Amino acid sequence: MVKCKGEAVKLMHIYLDGDITKEEETALRSHLEECKACQEHFHELKRTVTLLSSTESIQVPEGFSRKVMDRLPEEKRGVRYSR
Amino acid sequence: MEHFIIQQIKQAKKGDQSAFEDVISFYQGKIFQHCYRMLGNRHEAEDLAQETFIRAYVNIESFDTSRKFSTWLYRIATNLSIDRIRKKKPDYYLDAEIKGTEGLDMYSQLAANGRSLVEEVESLELNDHIQREISGLPPKYRGIIILRYLEEFSLQEISDILNIPLGTVKTRLHRGREALRKRLRHV
Repeated sequence: MVKCKGEAVKLMHIYLDGDITKEEETALRSHLEECKACQEHFHELKRTVTLLSSTESIQVPEGFSRKVMDRLPEEKRGVRYSR
Repeated sequence: MEHFIIQQIKQAKKGDQSAFEDVISFYQGKIFQHCYRMLGNRHEAEDLAQETFIRAYVNIESFDTSRKFSTWLYRIATNLSIDRIRKKKPDYYLDAEIKGTEGLDMYSQLAANGRSLVEEVESLELNDHIQREISGLPPKYRGIIILRYLEEFSLQEISDILNIPLGTVKTRLHRGREALRKRLRHV
């Protein structure tokens, strides 16, 4: 029997990391069926993950690579190599 | 494309500066984005992303070409971001104190001191709101959450990038998710 809430929450995270075994998953599911608080907790966790994954990307500023090139040290010193 | 970039990295290792510009162009979007997510500010993100590539160039001798370049680059960017965050607000992020649930309660207290979440949601776009909540995480949780959910690295890749054990990645991810669950539950 999965204990509320510590043990159940631990299993939720194992589940979210994709590490859960069949037995653990069955135990978690049967606990969730009878525990409203853990159900809510699990729902919130999954929603958090969904919200995070939904964020849009932002564009790199124009001329970025040129600006970096301008800041690079003139030539590499102390480097021993032969062309 | 990947093959071409690997060649350009090897050229840069030999001291060919112009080859490095191709390397920057190839990775700039991802690294800028990563810095932005870590810092939550475009201007600082640009500065730090530039710094990341400069560090990479200066230290390129130490890059082992049998490893993934992106892993190495993300590590530099993450470490620089964490340094920057810590210098900026040494007392604010409380990460030393956060252990288990006692620490997570502090988040609720911080949230309660500010505006209500409802007000915030109304005044900000969802994206900005999520970014703000991510920026409220202590840097060591923040990096892992960003790498996992915004940049979709596997747990093993995150362990390689940050050079920390897989178990530590999981523990921090677990705590980061719990902290964000509390912060985002009313969205």
